Amino acid sequence: MGNNVMLSIEHYSKSYGAGKKAADDVSLTVCGGDIYGFIGHNGAGKSTTIRAVVGVLDFTEGLIRIDGHSVADEPVACKRVTAYIPDNPDLYESLTGIQYLNFVADVFGIGAAEREERIKKYADLFEITPALGDLIGSYSHGMKQKVAIISALIHDPKLLVLDEPFVGLDPKAAFTLKEIMRDMCQQGAAVFFSTHVLDVAEKLCNKVAIIKHGKIIFSGTMEEFTEGHSLEEAFLEVDHGE
Amino acid sequence: MGSNVLLLLRTLRLSTSPWNVYRHTTDKKKRRQVVGGAIGFALLYAMVMAYCILMCVGYGMVGLVGAVPVLCALTISALAFVFTIFKTNGYLFNFREYDLLMSLPFEARTVATSKFLYMYVDSLPWYASISVATMVGYGCFAHPAIFVYPAWLVLSLFLPIAPMLAAAFLGFVFAKISTGFKRTSIIQTVLVFAFVVVCFASRFFIEDLFRNNKVQQTLETVSQATNDAANVYLPARWFANAIAGPSMLDALLFIGTSALLFAVVLAIVGGSYKSINSALRSHAASKSYKMGAQRQRSVVGAIAYKEFKRFTGSTVYMTNGVIGVGLSALFGLVTLVVGFDKIVAMVTHDAPFDHAILQPAIPFMVYFFVGMFATTACSPSLEGKNYWIVASLPLQKKTLYQGKMLFNLCLTLPSMVFCTLCLCISAGVPALNTVLYVVLGIALCAFSTAWGCVCGVKHMRLDWENEVEVIKQSAAVALYMLPNMFVVMGLMVLVVFLGLSIDHRLLTLAFCALVTVLAGLSYRRVIALCR
Repeated sequence: MGNNVMLSIEHYSKSYGAGKKAADDVSLTVCGGDIYGFIGHNGAGKSTTIRAVVGVLDFTEGLIRIDGHSVADEPVACKRVTAYIPDNPDLYESLTGIQYLNFVADVFGIGAAEREERIKKYADLFEITPALGDLIGSYSHGMKQKVAIISALIHDPKLLVLDEPFVGLDPKAAFTLKEIMRDMCQQGAAVFFSTHVLDVAEKLCNKVAIIKHGKIIFSGTMEEFTEGHSLEEAFLEVDHGE
Repeated sequence: MGSNVLLLLRTLRLSTSPWNVYRHTTDKKKRRQVVGGAIGFALLYAMVMAYCILMCVGYGMVGLVGAVPVLCALTISALAFVFTIFKTNGYLFNFREYDLLMSLPFEARTVATSKFLYMYVDSLPWYASISVATMVGYGCFAHPAIFVYPAWLVLSLFLPIAPMLAAAFLGFVFAKISTGFKRTSIIQTVLVFAFVVVCFASRFFIEDLFRNNKVQQTLETVSQATNDAANVYLPARWFANAIAGPSMLDALLFIGTSALLFAVVLAIVGGSYKSINSALRSHAASKSYKMGAQRQRSVVGAIAYKEFKRFTGSTVYMTNGVIGVGLSALFGLVTLVVGFDKIVAMVTHDAPFDHAILQPAIPFMVYFFVGMFATTACSPSLEGKNYWIVASLPLQKKTLYQGKMLFNLCLTLPSMVFCTLCLCISAGVPALNTVLYVVLGIALCAFSTAWGCVCGVKHMRLDWENEVEVIKQSAAVALYMLPNMFVVMGLMVLVVFLGLSIDHRLLTLAFCALVTVLAGLSYRRVIALCR
C-alpha cells in the first residue's frame, strides 16, 4: 500500500438546519502508513467529518475519496476497504458477540477459516473470547467497544477510522489497540482517528489536524505542529490564537 | 408522588413529542417530516371519525340510536384493551430509559404510574376521535339535552382506563412469569399468543352456548346484542346509563370504579415493578464461549439471520409479528381437525348456502391473518441507533432490504402454505385448484413483503425512543396495515361473488397474475427508493 493517498477530503462542508456549518471547507490528506490524529473541542465538527468519511452521513459540498474512490459516487467500494469504530458503539444487542462478528464477516465475504483465525486472534488479544457467546446486551461499554474493534479489523482494512476509540477501554485493551494501529500502519494501511487525549495523540500520531468551529486551523506533521513544544501546549496556543 | 408523576409524564411526553422537535430544530427536512407526520395522522383520525359517524348514521337510520353510547363505550374499551396488551412490554416494562429513571429519586410506583399514564395520553387522540364522532352522530339522531355533550366528553376520557389497566395487569403477570425463564421474550410472546387464542376460542364457545340455549333467538337485533355485551362489561353499561339516563349514580360508579382500579392495579404493579424490570433487563452471561468452526452465509442470508435475531430478541416485535402467522397455522390445524364445513357453519351461524362457493376465497382468508403484519414495514426504522452499522458496511441499500424481505418471507410463507393446504384438504378442493391457491398465497406473501418494505423505507424513522413507537404507532405500519386489511376483506367478498359466474381456476389464475404484478411493482418501488 506504501505512501499512496488512502483518504483525501477536499473542501468538505456540512450544514445542519439554518445555514450553521458543522464542517466548513475541510480539506486534509491521509496517506498509507499515517496515523492521523483529528483533534478539536466538543462540537468542533470531528464526528460530522468522520461520519461523512465512512458514508454514514450524506453530504453535498466537497469531495471525499478513499483509496481513489469517491465516497459519494462509489460508497460500497470505499466501505470495502474501510473500517469504522464509532465513539459509542450501539451494536445489535439481541445478537451474541460471535453472531455479530459473523454477520460483519458475512457482509465482507470473509471465508469461514479466515474469519475464525482473525476472530480468534483479536478476541484473544482483547481477552473477550469467553464472552463471545453472550448477548451483546449483557456487555459493558468497554466490551462492546472491543467487539466493535474486532469487527472493524475482521476484513483487514486499508483505512481504519475511529471516533474517540480509547473511551471505555481498559488500559491493557487501549495498549493493544495502539499496538494494532502501529502494526497496521507498518503494513501500509492508514489510521484516521479523533481524540481528546492529547498525550495519546502525541505518542501515536505522525500527522495531526486541528478543527475548530468546523474549520481546519492546522493540518500537517506532528513536528510541524508542535515545533519542539508538547502537543498540549501547541494545541492551546493555536486554540487561543484563533 | 402526584407532582413527580406529572413531572415525569410531562418529560416523557416531551421526549417523544414531534412538536417539540419542530419547535427546537432548525433542520428544514425534520420540520417537514413533523408536518407530514401530523397531516398523515390527522387523515387517519379523520378516517376513524368518518367511519364512526357513518356507523352512527346507519344505527340512526334503522332506529337504533339508543345503542350508540354503549357501542362507543365498547369500541373504545375493546381497542384500548387490544392496543395495550401488545404495548405493555416496551412501555411499562423493558424500556430503554429504565436505568436513567430509576437512578433518579422516584419511587418505583411513580415510574410505573407515569409510564401507564403516558400510554394512556399517547393513545387518547384515537379514543377521543371515536368518542367525538359517535357523540356527533348520537347528537344528530337522538337530539339529547345540551348537558349530555360535556358529560359525554368528560366521561369518555375514563373509558379506556379500566380496559387498559386490565391489559397492563395481564402484561404484568406475563412479564412476572417470564422472568423465571432464560428467554423472556419468547415466553412473553407465547403467553400473549395463548391468551389471544383463548379469547378467540371462548368467543365461539360462548356463542355456541347461546345457540344451544336458544338465546340466539333473543339476540335478534344489533341493539340487543350490544346491550348484552354491555351487561357483561359493566363500565360500558354505566357510561351509557350516565349519558342516556341521565344517571348521576351510574356516572359516579363509572368514575369511581375506574379510579379504584387505577389505584389497586398500579399499587400491585408498582410493588414488583423494580424486581420485574431488573429480571427482564439482566442477561444470563455464561462467559464460557470457546472458538470453534464458523459458518459463512451469503450477505442477504446474513441480514435475514440478523433480522431473525432482532425479531426473537424483542417481545413487542415478536408478539406483533407472530400473532398473524401463529393464528393462521392454528386456524389451518383446527380446520383440518374440525372440518371446513363446520367452521363455516359456526362463523355464518348455519346460514343455508353451498360452502363450496367460499373455496376461491381460501388464499385471502389465510392472508387476512398472515398479512396483518409485515416485518418489512417496521424493520428499516428498527435499525434506529444501530443504523451506523449497516450504513458503514459495504452494502447496497438494495441488498439490505432484500435481506429484510427474505426474513419476512421465511416467517410468512410456511404458515401461508400450511394453512392453505389444511383448508384445501379439509374443504375437499381439487388438486389443481389447491396448487393454484397455494401459488396465489405465495404471491400474496410476496406482495405483502414488498409493499411492507415500500412503506417501511418511505417512512423510515430512526430517532425513536421506544420501539413500540415503530412497531405499533408508526406511519409506515399504519399505512401498510390499514389499507391492506380493508382491501383483503373486500377481495374476499369480490372473489366469492365473481366465483359464482367464473371458473374458479381461471379466477385464481387472474388473481395470481394481478397480485404478482402488484408484488413486482412494489419490489421495483423498493429498489427505486434505495437509489
